[in-house]
Amino acid sequence: MIDALSFTFVQHAILAGILVSLAAGIIGSLIVVNRMVFLAGGIAHTSYGGIGLAVFFGLPIFLGASLFAVAAAILVAWLTLHQRERIDTFIGLIWAVGMAIGVILVDLTPGYNVDLMSYLFGSILAVETGDLMFMGVLLAFIVGIVTLKYRDILAVSYDPEYALLRGINVPLIYTTILILSALTVVVAIKVVGLILVIALLTIPVYIAERLSGSLAGMMMISGGLATLFTLGGLVFSYLYNLTSGASIILVSAAFLGVFLVVWKR
Amino acid sequence: MSLVSLHNLAFAYDTQPVLEHVSLEVNEHDFLAIIGPNGGGKSTLLKLMLGLLKPTQGSITLLGTTPSAARHDVGYVPQNTNVNTDFPVKVLDVVLMGNGAEHHPLFGYGIEEKACAMEALQQVGMEDFAARRIGDLSGGQRQRVMIARALCRRPKLLILDEPTASIDATGQKEIYDLLKRLNDAITVIVVSHDLSVILGYANKAAYVNRTLTFHDISDKSHIFHTHGQTDDHLCEIDILEMLGGESCDVCNNCDDKGGAA
Repeated sequence: MIDALSFTFVQHAILAGILVSLAAGIIGSLIVVNRMVFLAGGIAHTSYGGIGLAVFFGLPIFLGASLFAVAAAILVAWLTLHQRERIDTFIGLIWAVGMAIGVILVDLTPGYNVDLMSYLFGSILAVETGDLMFMGVLLAFIVGIVTLKYRDILAVSYDPEYALLRGINVPLIYTTILILSALTVVVAIKVVGLILVIALLTIPVYIAERLSGSLAGMMMISGGLATLFTLGGLVFSYLYNLTSGASIILVSAAFLGVFLVVWKR
Repeated sequence: MSLVSLHNLAFAYDTQPVLEHVSLEVNEHDFLAIIGPNGGGKSTLLKLMLGLLKPTQGSITLLGTTPSAARHDVGYVPQNTNVNTDFPVKVLDVVLMGNGAEHHPLFGYGIEEKACAMEALQQVGMEDFAARRIGDLSGGQRQRVMIARALCRRPKLLILDEPTASIDATGQKEIYDLLKRLNDAITVIVVSHDLSVILGYANKAAYVNRTLTFHDISDKSHIFHTHGQTDDHLCEIDILEMLGGESCDVCNNCDDKGGAA
């Protein structure tokens, strides 16, 4: 177990797990309190279209997926602000159409046999230095924006109508949260894959919501729990030779189950 | 001094008229109750006054300016405050949200903003709950916190949308007593189904059902004696009909254009 730590790919996996878990804790908190879980799910799945785009045009995967996911986030924000009553239908559409675009683009790429599974379920043991840098920059970016805009984000999340009356730019804050969610989903694809990402964004937050008295506290506890689950899942997958992304999610779910039984409020 | 002045206001969602020929004057230190059936346009009228909606016709003057420009001097308590009770936020933080978006420190809240929020909590008698989670409070306590949030900016006008809709009877009386106390310094406009507010607290009443009928009810004895109500029991429906009636001869100040459509 200990000697595994000397491998570079294991060190990368641990570092990636920590960076992505912290981002997921912060952004997951915002997604949960803003009731955006379904929206985030749609953005996560549609980002496969960006992976197909990157493969087809020979771009870096993170770049293609980020552009596609951010475009989807802006579209979702626009739809939420203008077509609120039909939003679930549109999310369903975006969810499936993005994935279909990705599959078709990979089909059309000559001589390239992309490993679909690694994007759907994660490939944390194949994290490269460039990936780590992208994750680090994104985490710094998220922490910076959330720190500087904390009071506006809190006001919009708690009561958007009142925030609007107090002169806060609600559509801008809302769109920013969705764009940060999209970017977090993209980096989380490496760790748990785009299908499982929603669990990483919600399970730690669900527990943290009960343990914290403020949104900031919720973000920190969520980040800590997500890190714990990710590293726990990694150990589990190493010991029993299982898929890492799924192990992380099941470790989280097991912890949640125990928490719900033990925690009485 | 006239604090709110609506002149021949009309509003329609698409082509569906919601309000027509609405005129109203609210003076400083008035306590105006807005009543009327559901779907009659009460909430729309509030949204127009708050500048959340633009009238299709007519004009609104608040504190001598437009509703959006007057926003900082208007406190608002929305209808449903029992939503989002799982949200991890402390009472003081909710009150602090009453502060505006303009010129605040780079991070967090300024000392003055915090002092002002504590003062608002004291005004509603909730200062001991400042560090409690909002979800742990009762409906009545939470409503008082929402009033404190509206008071955070020391408004000249306080607008409340059904403030007692989800509160038990004791809590309702406490809320109205609090509003009456605040009314010494602040003009209050309250939308309510609850007639005790009209009989016990308000000095003006406006019945809104597409059009608006205005009544000065500062002398309550006037309301009843001319309508042949001889027994002590008053049915709420009777009063509502009376206030909404076209030929109500008790009102001192009926709007000419008022009356049921």
